[in-house]
Amino acid sequence: MAKETGPSKKKKKFLTTLREQTQCRFCREGRRYIDYKDVEALQKLLTNRGKIFSRKRSGNCASCQRKVKLAIKRARFMALLPFTA
Amino acid sequence: MKTAVKRLYEGLFLVDSALAASDWDGVLGTIRKFLERAGADIVSLKKWDDRRLAYEVEGKSRGTYILAYFHCEPSRVHGIERDVNLSERVLRVLILRADRMSREDMEKPTPAELHPEGSSMPVPEPLEEADDTAAEVAGAEPAGDEPAASE
Repeated sequence: MAKETGPSKKKKKFLTTLREQTQCRFCREGRRYIDYKDVEALQKLLTNRGKIFSRKRSGNCASCQRKVKLAIKRARFMALLPFTA
Repeated sequence: MKTAVKRLYEGLFLVDSALAASDWDGVLGTIRKFLERAGADIVSLKKWDDRRLAYEVEGKSRGTYILAYFHCEPSRVHGIERDVNLSERVLRVLILRADRMSREDMEKPTPAELHPEGSSMPVPEPLEEADDTAAEVAGAEPAGDEPAASE
């Protein structure tokens, strides 16, 4: 819950720029489906041991993180990505 | 009486690279046979890529991926997976619904077409290099720990 008083003009501007920046990488591109065959994109969301980065680390929104999770797991099954390294 | 509705599916088949290189038509024929046995109408069937596998599958470390789009009755998709499991020529298959795929999506060039020479293989191996990627990801992202925005 926010405070009673609305944000000042300066803060408002800061918030809008912040909001633009914080769109996740997939939302920015406007992608509705994350393809498990797009290994290069998924690779960036894995650690060197093949673990999935947290949302905080990858900057993904909740919805995209779920899609990424599914895509990575599909890619792992098809031996496109490692389960562990 | 039930009328069978055919849906569009996308299937990615994994076969051994050596087998695909020596008997390409035979492999395609096998896959086509599986699909036809399930009463599928094949929209497209082509090589997707040939790459090193992230882990060994049935002792094979290189694999050829074959991408197929087909219309099939939902109840018979299981039959394709069963055929693949019983087959010794096809290592794996992943069949997904592709209802939202457009014609252009299906005709997108595959990695094999984009990089005909050698495979476009970014498969993870060297641990040292991967560290850079990790740092990059962390650096590229906007700081997420700003004080909670409005709301």
